Amino acid sequence: MKTRSGLLFLAICTSLAIHTHDACCQYRDHSQIASKAKSLASQYPAICSARSLVKTAGGKDIWIITIGTGDRDNKPGIAIVGGTDGKYILGRELALGFAENLLARSGDKSTTDLLNKVTYYIFPDVSPDASAQYFAPLKYERSRNARTTDEDRDFLFDEDPCEDLNGDGAITLLRISDPAGKFIESKEDARVMVNAETEKGEKGKYSVITEGIDNDKDGEFNEDGEGGVNFNRNLTYNYEEFGPNSGLYPVSEPETRAVVDFLYDRFNIYMVIAFGPQDNLAEPMKAREQPGSQSPGERTGQGNMRRERTPLTAIMKSDETVNKLVSDEYREITGLKGTPPVVEDPGNFMEWAYYHYGRYSFSTPGWWLNVEKGKNSEAEFLKFAEKEKLAYANVEWKEINHPDFPDKKVEAGGILPFVMYSPPADSVSSLTELHSRFIMKISEMHPELEFLDLQTENAGSNLYRITLKVHNKGLFATSAEAGDPNIWTRVMRLTVQLSAGQKIISGQKVQRLARLNGGESAEFSWLISGKGKADFTAGAANTGQISTSVELK
Amino acid sequence: MKLSVKISVSLVILCLSIPAKAQNAELFFKASGSPANPKVQASWNKYYTYDGITDICKRLAKEYPGLVILESAGKSYQGRDIHALTITDRKSGDPGNKPGFYIDGNIHSNEIQGTEMALYTAWYLCEMYDENRFIRDLLKDKTFYIIPTINPDARQYFMDSPNTQHSPRSGLVPMDNDRDGLYDEDGYDDLNNDGVISAMRRKSPYGTYKTDPIDPRKMIRTEPGEKGEYEILGQEGIDNDGDGQVNEDGPGGYDPNRDYGFNWEPAYIQSGAGKYPFSFPENQAVRDFGFSHRNITGSQSFHNNGGLILRGPSIEGGGAEVFSRDDDAVLNSIGKKGELIIPGYKFITLWKDMYTVYGGELDWWYGAIGSYVFSNELWNEFMMFNDTSSIDPYEFDRLLLFEDSFMAWEEVDHPDYGKVEVGGFNKNFGRTHPGFLLESDSHRNAAFCIYNAWVTPKLEVRDVKVQNLGGGLKEVTATVVNTQLMPTHSGNNLKYRIDPPDYVSLDGGKVIAGMIVTDKDRNLNQEQKQNPQKLEIENIPGYSHVNVKWIVKDGSKFTVRIESVKGGRASAESE
Repeated sequence: MKTRSGLLFLAICTSLAIHTHDACCQYRDHSQIASKAKSLASQYPAICSARSLVKTAGGKDIWIITIGTGDRDNKPGIAIVGGTDGKYILGRELALGFAENLLARSGDKSTTDLLNKVTYYIFPDVSPDASAQYFAPLKYERSRNARTTDEDRDFLFDEDPCEDLNGDGAITLLRISDPAGKFIESKEDARVMVNAETEKGEKGKYSVITEGIDNDKDGEFNEDGEGGVNFNRNLTYNYEEFGPNSGLYPVSEPETRAVVDFLYDRFNIYMVIAFGPQDNLAEPMKAREQPGSQSPGERTGQGNMRRERTPLTAIMKSDETVNKLVSDEYREITGLKGTPPVVEDPGNFMEWAYYHYGRYSFSTPGWWLNVEKGKNSEAEFLKFAEKEKLAYANVEWKEINHPDFPDKKVEAGGILPFVMYSPPADSVSSLTELHSRFIMKISEMHPELEFLDLQTENAGSNLYRITLKVHNKGLFATSAEAGDPNIWTRVMRLTVQLSAGQKIISGQKVQRLARLNGGESAEFSWLISGKGKADFTAGAANTGQISTSVELK
Repeated sequence: MKLSVKISVSLVILCLSIPAKAQNAELFFKASGSPANPKVQASWNKYYTYDGITDICKRLAKEYPGLVILESAGKSYQGRDIHALTITDRKSGDPGNKPGFYIDGNIHSNEIQGTEMALYTAWYLCEMYDENRFIRDLLKDKTFYIIPTINPDARQYFMDSPNTQHSPRSGLVPMDNDRDGLYDEDGYDDLNNDGVISAMRRKSPYGTYKTDPIDPRKMIRTEPGEKGEYEILGQEGIDNDGDGQVNEDGPGGYDPNRDYGFNWEPAYIQSGAGKYPFSFPENQAVRDFGFSHRNITGSQSFHNNGGLILRGPSIEGGGAEVFSRDDDAVLNSIGKKGELIIPGYKFITLWKDMYTVYGGELDWWYGAIGSYVFSNELWNEFMMFNDTSSIDPYEFDRLLLFEDSFMAWEEVDHPDYGKVEVGGFNKNFGRTHPGFLLESDSHRNAAFCIYNAWVTPKLEVRDVKVQNLGGGLKEVTATVVNTQLMPTHSGNNLKYRIDPPDYVSLDGGKVIAGMIVTDKDRNLNQEQKQNPQKLEIENIPGYSHVNVKWIVKDGSKFTVRIESVKGGRASAESE
């Protein structure tokens, strides 16, 4: 009740806020993130630790903040990842801000209860080389790390970057007056360049390129700038060989590998929440028939070489149910309307976490402009910027001299970098608060095992029949269905430990427990001879272990 | 000065290596095609342990300092050096500037003889260099990169520890195969302590097996209605972790040949894969070796068994790989020649004729490096009697190996099954060559590699001609020829621009214009406006030539040079 009204208030605040600040400087840079991570760990030493996992090619740390109690790696774990794409700078704040909000509330009973049950692994920024460009003297939207690469495969490395030709500290666009050009001014907003539609009788007036010169004289502009590899294209799912910024092979980068290894090493993680271009929170993923995707019986041991099943390409049925539930919570808690633009990144993190890591995986940009279908998003953005009185939004077209077009009129201008992907800085704190609440809300739905209906029946002649149920009282399944055939997820075990002199007549000492959906239970029975104590344990790292015992007498 | 240093160094080597030197030549009469009295004594009717491999590699490097460089390509999981031999005539140029041919073996731990094939090739090239003109010429033109085992830990484990002929396929990085949180906790158990994991059989009135009346070592299934004598209980082992399953989580438990970063898929699709490509240190070593030797134009992996010469693609449609018609022609031409060189081996396409492989080494060499690649499955049952119909291993073992490869059935106590008998073929039989056939097949497979290396591109610059055009201008023309089968760039290489184009440069004079002559007779040219002194040629196909032309000012002596990453280098001067 209390939460609800608070939420409403915040939602109103967000929409009413008037943004007058320069967008810079309210997002925190790499060193501010680092010092915040360290200060959180020293402020809350009992429940929080922070360390650098690895350094990037650019010499920047990948910070990991772990928050939890007790045996952290053996209870349901949640990974929260910011900066999957460096140009989505908000995600870093949402991830780090969650850590701050959670710790600030760690004295509350509900938060304490939660932290006794689950562990959080928070990566504020996995693309620090790229996101640093937001804070650099020259701003441009960058998704690449600092590894030197040959993006245009001309066997020269980083030889054709952008240049700030109008000296405004940002890379925008250039338009060149050119009868052979394909662009015209948009009817929705003349500042926006759009493709001329010849079928509607329109004739192109401009060529449009990004701001810069053709340094290597190959006819292409700014096609091989500084860096690198895009974290969000360097993962294994749907990886594009020799794709743009995808790296030499999947998981080629030290930071990709360190993050992926960290996650794979933690079998307790059942859910991953990423803040980046992909979205399945505003618009949940849809299940569909996947021919040939039936899981065969599990095969283990040596000598396996054959293909096991066809790749998953859509969410599994029972995971879809959870995705929908989570998405409903997301929209309700954040109050965000519409859906962000669909961004297809081969090798992206969100799909990797679901299809290859086999965990529940959710992702959102955390903020977007709600653009009506059919409208030009840039023109809509300019309207929004006017309404919100954004000082940092657009550069008016202004003529410049361009060495590659000595005889043509060239103007620099257009929408400034980052503003389409990141909200005005003064709405960051309210968005952080809303996303923190969302994460806490869905964390409460974590899988949790309990034993129910433990019954002992004396069958005479020193024989006892024991039955019990293992029940998942959480709303999430004990693990995502996509993880069923995945060797990098654990399979729950149910084990009975007998006292000396007792013997199992029927039933298994150790057995595998299939995934239990939210609220689902499974019943087991044993026939045991001999008096004494029998101990039962059930679970796996991702659910935690539960135990109970019974005295047979 | 330099000479005297050389002499003293070789004297030292001579002194140090007396025990390893060639034996008294009077004892031998040369058999054709083999070194009669090798400096590095080695026999090819046995398998080498890791220390044995190390010893041969070191002796080759010591005896042939002008030909052999021995390096470590990296460390295995357990810290063994992965030996890499670079073999070429270093007097005739930088090894990295010649077309390279790469050979490795033993990616699958139990498929040990690939190592002997690779090692034999290295040994043969060195030992024949002095006495065979073809080998001498070959090592002038080409560089061989040979890694005898890219899986030294598990090779040694196969030899030293109880295993079947099929185990382990994996390397030795621990894996939790049964997903219970314990690693490698339930492997095989050598119940009779003979170093081999054999089958377990138990006498049973309900058994469906009986012993073969012709050869009682052999178990055969009973006919329907016939009374059996034995039941088969799987491979030697017990349920070490008490989970109701036997031998389900032994050492390792992955497939190193599903770990390469091209067309990779995870284990739920491609069983045996790791977390991501290049998960395992041995494969990281191969990756780094490949990326740092871009001149590798052809490559060869050795596996067992089946008597096959495999080509890609490994998946239907090739995934991200492309095979042009020229690529098919190159691969098919070499593969067909292989069938002649190695009788009984069949040349097939992996995905179509065998099975689908995602993330195999084969795809990576072709897909990511742009090198033509074959994988040979060594040994097949045909080789027992040189006959496709007589393929009974029991008979072969009896008549030719005198039952040396069979472990007689032996009674042991099993904690769960009671009295059982264990027995069957030794782990060194079934998939690996028996000793007497090993040298012969090593030679044939080495010959296949040598042929394959020979057909890598051979570039020459011919007919450098200068013609005075008047007005201080001259025209320089030349022809660049590839006299061999392979192009300088495969279709995949061209598609992804893996390697730079071939560069034809003119030294001498001031270049005003440069062009590729597309039709000499009709004077059709393709002018290169940027940097005309160094003409870029996308590809020089096999058995083809390219004409080039420059317009120059000044200069009288002209040199035309061709530089190709995978095709090598050549130059010629004007008359």
